[in-house]
Amino acid sequence: MPVLRAVLVLVCLALVPAPAAAASLDRVGFVAGLCDDAAAQVRAAEGLIQSAGEVPADDLAFAAGLLGALAERRLACPADGALLLDRPGASEGRDALTGLARATPDARVPVLGLRQRAAVETARGVTALLTGPDPAARAAGLAAAERRIATVPAAVLDRARDAESDAGLKERITGLAQAAALSSPDPVRRRAAIAAVAAHPSGAAQARLAALKGDPAYAADHAFRAALDAGLATVSRAVAVGDGLAVVYNGLSFASILFMAAAGLAIIFGLMGVINLAQGEFIMLGAYATYGVQEAFRRLAPGLLDLYLVAAIPVAFCAVALVGIVVEALILRHLYRRPLMSLLATWAVSLFLVNLVRVTVGTQNLQFVMPAYVSGGVPLYADFVVTWNRLFAIGFAAATLVLTLLILRRTPLGLDIRAVTQNRDMAACLGLPTRRVDRLAFGLGSGIAGLAGVALCPIYSVNPGMGSGFIVDSFMVVVLGGVGSLLGTLVAALGIGGANVLIEPVSGAVAAKVIVLVGIILFLQRRPEGLFAVRRRR
Amino acid sequence: MAHLTRRSFVGAASLLASPALIRPAFAADTVKLGCLFSSSGTMANLEGRLNHVVRMAADEINGRGGVNGRQIEVLTSDPASDWPLYAQVGRQMLQQEKVAALFGCWTSVSRKSVLPVVEQNDGLLFYPLHFEGDENSKNVVYVNSPPASSVLPAVDYLMGQDGVGAKRFFMIGSDYVWPRTINKQLKGYWKSKGIPESAWREEYVPFGFSNFQTLVNQVRSFASQPGGQAIVVLTVVGSSIPDFLREFANQGITATDVPILGLDMVEADLEGLDTAKLAGHLNCWAYLQAAKSERNTKFLGDWASYVKARNVPFSADTVIDPMVSAYDSVQLWALAAAKAGSFAVPEVRKAFAGLSFEDPSGYTLTMTGENNYVSRGVFIGSVNEKRGFDVLWQSPNAPKPVPFSPYG
Amino acid sequence: MSGAMQTVLAPPAGPARRAVRDPLVAGLVGLCLAVAVGLLVARPAPYLVNALGQLAAFAILAVSLDLVWGYLGILSLGHGLFFAIGGYVCAMHLLSHGVAVTGVLPDFVQFMGWKSLPAYWAGLDHPAYALVLALALAGLVAFLFGLASFRSRVNGVYFSIISQALVYVAMLLMYRNDTGLGGNNGMTGFPLLFGWPMGSPGVATGLAVAALVALAVVLAGTRLLVGSAVGRRMLACRDDETRLRTLGYSTTRLKLGIWCLSAMIAALAGILYVPQVGIINPRVLAPDLSIEIAVWVAIGGLGRLGGAVIGAVLVNGLKFWLSAAMPEAWPFILSGLVLVVVLVLPNGLLDLVALRPRPTWLRSSR
Repeated sequence: MPVLRAVLVLVCLALVPAPAAAASLDRVGFVAGLCDDAAAQVRAAEGLIQSAGEVPADDLAFAAGLLGALAERRLACPADGALLLDRPGASEGRDALTGLARATPDARVPVLGLRQRAAVETARGVTALLTGPDPAARAAGLAAAERRIATVPAAVLDRARDAESDAGLKERITGLAQAAALSSPDPVRRRAAIAAVAAHPSGAAQARLAALKGDPAYAADHAFRAALDAGLATVSRAVAVGDGLAVVYNGLSFASILFMAAAGLAIIFGLMGVINLAQGEFIMLGAYATYGVQEAFRRLAPGLLDLYLVAAIPVAFCAVALVGIVVEALILRHLYRRPLMSLLATWAVSLFLVNLVRVTVGTQNLQFVMPAYVSGGVPLYADFVVTWNRLFAIGFAAATLVLTLLILRRTPLGLDIRAVTQNRDMAACLGLPTRRVDRLAFGLGSGIAGLAGVALCPIYSVNPGMGSGFIVDSFMVVVLGGVGSLLGTLVAALGIGGANVLIEPVSGAVAAKVIVLVGIILFLQRRPEGLFAVRRRR
Repeated sequence: MAHLTRRSFVGAASLLASPALIRPAFAADTVKLGCLFSSSGTMANLEGRLNHVVRMAADEINGRGGVNGRQIEVLTSDPASDWPLYAQVGRQMLQQEKVAALFGCWTSVSRKSVLPVVEQNDGLLFYPLHFEGDENSKNVVYVNSPPASSVLPAVDYLMGQDGVGAKRFFMIGSDYVWPRTINKQLKGYWKSKGIPESAWREEYVPFGFSNFQTLVNQVRSFASQPGGQAIVVLTVVGSSIPDFLREFANQGITATDVPILGLDMVEADLEGLDTAKLAGHLNCWAYLQAAKSERNTKFLGDWASYVKARNVPFSADTVIDPMVSAYDSVQLWALAAAKAGSFAVPEVRKAFAGLSFEDPSGYTLTMTGENNYVSRGVFIGSVNEKRGFDVLWQSPNAPKPVPFSPYG
Repeated sequence: MSGAMQTVLAPPAGPARRAVRDPLVAGLVGLCLAVAVGLLVARPAPYLVNALGQLAAFAILAVSLDLVWGYLGILSLGHGLFFAIGGYVCAMHLLSHGVAVTGVLPDFVQFMGWKSLPAYWAGLDHPAYALVLALALAGLVAFLFGLASFRSRVNGVYFSIISQALVYVAMLLMYRNDTGLGGNNGMTGFPLLFGWPMGSPGVATGLAVAALVALAVVLAGTRLLVGSAVGRRMLACRDDETRLRTLGYSTTRLKLGIWCLSAMIAALAGILYVPQVGIINPRVLAPDLSIEIAVWVAIGGLGRLGGAVIGAVLVNGLKFWLSAAMPEAWPFILSGLVLVVVLVLPNGLLDLVALRPRPTWLRSSR
């Protein structure tokens, strides 16, 4: 009898499936899938995602390694199995399953098409979420998985949430898990899901909720309908607010660029009546000076490379101010009584500068390293994304404004400039060295243009011809705002930037520009002195 | 002297009439080829490279003994991205310098400016860019692909299972003939597949436009609407390409959210960008630098040494499709002239039928006598983190080109 | 000062009348006619014929700008607009004519997907109508713009900036393909001129001759104009507008009239230019090109009609030559030339040539 019982127990034990073993990853099959055609790669990645809720951690780490190699083109596929390379194009690597070194004679390196790329990204996100060493890595994995949350099963999110130690991250996972339950059969969970989705409004969320209106529960279940309507209303409102914020932000960004390009011109034109057609080229020189600073940092202090933009500020200012002073001393000094000739002279200078840079440096766009504080963006509200490079430009413009006002109001040079702008002859009678003031003011105006060049490096492509796009716009801003008035320039820049951005979605970029320019021309016919005219006697 | 006398004026005019084009010192018995590529202005960064490639091809042929016993002399110029000036210089090269063939133009505007000139003077223009088709002049050799073999394969890929199953399309282009014609043909193609008009959207921006914030916002909201996966078909050119890509990446949209098919995007446009966030966007050309073939390795090496030897002011490590097409043009011309035994344009034209050449892309280029188009292979490229393109797909052979689109 | 003003306004008599005659202009008029005859007789290379014709068209354009800048003191940096109006209407005529004769629609109509030329093209296949339309349109645009500006007393650099903005706006508008004017590609492929094929040497010669003759006529006409009483009023207006107004003359009417005339002459230059170069596109509306016109006038001689012609021929001739021979150096040469002229020779290259001393009232004050 005891023998029979023991045999029965053994048989029963044998029949009970070992839970861990059955859900483990078929490593050989996984590797074969990744080295097969596109459909097989997708199946392998999606299969991993589906089973990630139960697969043991070491299998997940194995899969993560392979997927990462595939994404970075470090996975080579010879006739059998797969090889992990240390870097793309390496001549030998380690066998994916055994870890032994193998040579890679002409092994095919698969390239990810878009469909596989999406699946692989999500799979990598899921594995990072479940096996990442620190909260930051796991949060990055969550962000990647969130993009295609519909393909991630609830079991995965539950497992991640249960294993998560970091409180904030745990909350996010919980929220995502709730939101994923939009099509769950349980109506309570569904309503909770709607609320969760509405809590993070975006255009995509709006589309997801709107799609639910076709759901049969909408007509049948009263509570569901109420929840959905409320959720949709919240999301729509948030999206509209986000779009409005985006318009404001875009307008501010464009206005800040216009302002920086025009500020120096306002001072020069107001003071000397000189139309500086080389202003765009001074901006270009500022951008090239920034590039020079970057190269200097790269060579001398590569650890501090990210700070090159900040270090370039004084360098660009001084360099371009110097160029301006030279131009003034050599050329414009002789042309004060002949403003129309000085216009032609500055045009010749601009032609010279563009071609000088083209011949010495070359026509290609300069390569800039984008430090973290000017690349990417952060979604602030609904679909409104604050891009760092434009925020940098806005901040820079504000700083330029403050600095210029300080110079004009608080320094002796500023006082001289204002005096000579208002009444040149009287200022000369009082003993002010008007010629020196002109020279320094031209330098100041050029230096500000150089600063504009620094701020524009993260936004626009930098090449010798980049300045020509700014001329007409900056002149319009200066003349509209009122010659000699910096605040006028600011107001005009805000107005023009805002008008452009408001009209653009309606009738296109070109029409917006045309309408704004025609409006300015008509306004100037009526009131040629601009918005804020500096009272002066000449 | 108070007046300019007639004598002095005519003297000055004759000076104008025989300007010295840039040419190396050669013996008298040479055959001249003319280049119409700008080295200043908006097109300089792209077209400037092609002058040097044509010279490199000519050097290579001269090293083999020249064509029909004569050495090739390459005349370059600078139309300065000024379209009427292309016609002007083209006329001068054909009438004054009596060049045997012209190699030139990038934008369709410049080609259309030169077209009347070559037709009136019965010259031959080798045009190395992919373009909108719908043209078949006997005086132009279309060395690169019309839309049927440069745009439709990529669009089909994106609409198919291997791609993203695209069902909605946002077209952004520079406002001129090439983008407009491409978009017109694409709309016709989609109509033929039963896709409704509400599934696409068209926007045009001026040349050199760089303020893409609003447009990227519009793309995002277009993509979030229901109806299927959306893609962007990008036909902007020049510096608008990197500006658009930068704004797209900064706003956090990746290729797996909304892929971009950049039809004029070359490796040179990715210089200066952080392509880690742009990986996965597509382009479609007859040649990619990543093409695997022995001839490509040789060509890349030749170009790199040429750049170093002649101090060419362009990158030694970047080779783009138009460069290879320009190289192919010179080789094709040399083969045709040798086959015809003469440099006269009608003879050379007759010799196109049955011409074949194995070019760096790994395909065999062929020409039939039916038209002046050249069969090219098709590559679909995918942006990688190293500012280059990976070969995502390539055609098994070089399909016969279709000059006139059946779609619109 | 008023004494000098009186001298300016009253027609000079006796020895002063002789000083009005301008040997340079007379010489240039003769030269143009002689070259025209020479082209008909000698049949030089087609490229040379074409270049001469284009130079003549540019010279007409320069004269039109000199008329308002040198003699009225209005620097317009937007004369390219009127040049373009003439050019576009001429192109429209050539294409309409081609459609009427051959029945083939031009390229840009085809790629926009339209089935026929837009409605406002009607009637343009008649050359007389096209000519009148071009001149009238240029005059009208000039009238509207000038009226608003001169009545508001917009002068000097403000006028220059606004004219730049105007031509820039026109360029942006013309870049759009849906205006039905060829958009960025512009219009090209003109098949016929008055029924003859465009590329033939006879047509090229005819066009060049027409341009040279037109230049001679424009020179003679403007010379007579500035030598007349109106011309003296123009100079007075340039030198001191307020005083002229206080003397009772309507400066607005004067400026407006001469401004419209200048616009029409510029449109004429456009009409002659486009068939010779074979294409028109919005590049002619680029702000840079309008500034270049001022450069031609400044280099040649501001306030001297002959100087404007010489400046235009010299700068464009150099450009044709050097952009082929030394393309790298051309922009440097041009900018250097402008700087030298502006700094050292305030009244243009004619200062180099020792002419009969210019009467004081001809000397420019700008």
